[in-house]
Amino acid sequence: MEIGLRLAVSLAQIAAVMGVVMLTVMVLTLAERKVLGWMQDRMGPMEVGPYGVLQPIADGLKLFFKEDIIPAGANKFMFTLAPILALVPAMIGFAVIPFGPSMTIELFGMQIKPFVISDINIGILYILAFASIGAYGIILGGWSSNSKYSLLGGLRSAAQVISYELNVGLAIVGVILLSGSLSLVKITEAQAGGFWNWFVIAMPFPQIFAFVVYVISSVAETNRVPFDLPEAESELVAGFFTEYSGMRFAFFFIAEYANMILVSCVAAALFLGGWNAPYPGTILGHLGLDALAWIENVVWFAAKVYFFLFLFFWLRATLPRLRYDQLMRFGWKVMLPIALGNIVLTAIAAYFFPR
Amino acid sequence: MNVAVTTQPKRKPSFGDWLKTLTFYELLVGMKATLTHLLNYKPITLQYPHEKRLLPDNYRGMLALLRYDDGTEKCVGCDLCEAACPSRVIRVVSGEVPGEPTKRYSKEYYMDMTRCLFCGLCVDACPVDALGMTREFEWAVYDKRQLHLNKQQLLAIGDRSFPVREKRLELQHPNVAFFNVTFKHLPQKEN
Repeated sequence: MEIGLRLAVSLAQIAAVMGVVMLTVMVLTLAERKVLGWMQDRMGPMEVGPYGVLQPIADGLKLFFKEDIIPAGANKFMFTLAPILALVPAMIGFAVIPFGPSMTIELFGMQIKPFVISDINIGILYILAFASIGAYGIILGGWSSNSKYSLLGGLRSAAQVISYELNVGLAIVGVILLSGSLSLVKITEAQAGGFWNWFVIAMPFPQIFAFVVYVISSVAETNRVPFDLPEAESELVAGFFTEYSGMRFAFFFIAEYANMILVSCVAAALFLGGWNAPYPGTILGHLGLDALAWIENVVWFAAKVYFFLFLFFWLRATLPRLRYDQLMRFGWKVMLPIALGNIVLTAIAAYFFPR
Repeated sequence: MNVAVTTQPKRKPSFGDWLKTLTFYELLVGMKATLTHLLNYKPITLQYPHEKRLLPDNYRGMLALLRYDDGTEKCVGCDLCEAACPSRVIRVVSGEVPGEPTKRYSKEYYMDMTRCLFCGLCVDACPVDALGMTREFEWAVYDKRQLHLNKQQLLAIGDRSFPVREKRLELQHPNVAFFNVTFKHLPQKEN
């Protein structure tokens, strides 16, 4: 009975988070095309619904009813596995993201944390581990398609993984040193009490360099412009998903956007204070409405995440694509030394000025 | 990878250059440009099927055969358009007007619009102004054979695009008039 209830509550939480994520993906597909259009003096989609707001539904219907093609000579098992392998890690990472304050509520005699599905003590490690599995989906999809464009896209993805993956991990180490925990809930709680406590600018050692390294690496991780080498539509048709159509293509597409949301959530939680407001406490809390303070926190979290998502669009509208030797040189010769130096300095600062 | 690159004369990077590299100055300039366009949003898009742009007067669109104001065809079947056409779009089958052995007309007139490049040379070549270029351009069809037009279709296009027709010139005796045009350097005959 106890286990059944717990399972039901967990499933409800998962369903809610998945629903919000999928809804955000839908909004993002439209928002990206709109924002990109506006930045380039275009209008973006205008046909479906007023000002094109129903475009994601039309796109979804189109992808759902499209023919599912497996090219001759493709490795059927791998070809089927790759989109799932790309989508699942992108979705599963949301399990440890704290979307709101870490309060517990009593429900049917159980302690439930409503804003985080599971507060495991190695949260950030778990996200990093699954994010690197997501790259396997791309590489396998490129390899199993039996197409030269897909293979080149997959190869580039492999080359890209080794240049950003390390920097993501090393950029996060500084934050972990300061907060003393791998749990995203604890890391967020360590930044409470105003924007001067956020790890980007927090004393004893501001993580601004680590933040920049993380943001650049996360753009590479999500295969977005200017690091969209595996996709490279002007060179490789569509890169690793050239041969995919219908729902398999949609899986890759959703995975890309879910990954964007995930890295934005992590960046917000690690560096920008997660759900903490930039001032001490919450306005609703100061007004005596403690029961409603979570709304303000969730709104702040959403605002930070959407800022990062806008940054992704903004970069896409502005920057041209790098070659992969440029990306690797930048990753290994610029970002890696910065991340390592940041760890050393943060460790020294954290030793002499413990928080 | 050793690639021979012609190097420019080396300049010692100044402190400003170093600072610009460190702060991604060039990237920030670009991002400022895109953000400016987002904030001063003035789209130049024309929502095409809903709004159409004004075409210029000399627009070269779909070709058409014209008629005089009394409803007779202008075309005299001289084949000059066929000769002028660089893409061999036009095929004219010329014939005598029944009962009038000095006058000719086009018995059949075909245009293969799949090949037409809308240069307008046929219109220039026509001595009787029997060809015209309309402003129609929405001629997308599902079957390209629908673009092989015959005389009736071309006349129909002319009828709907040029409702105001030219008056028939009666400057010469109808039996000797081959090209029914004015010859300004010659003294005109009294009818």
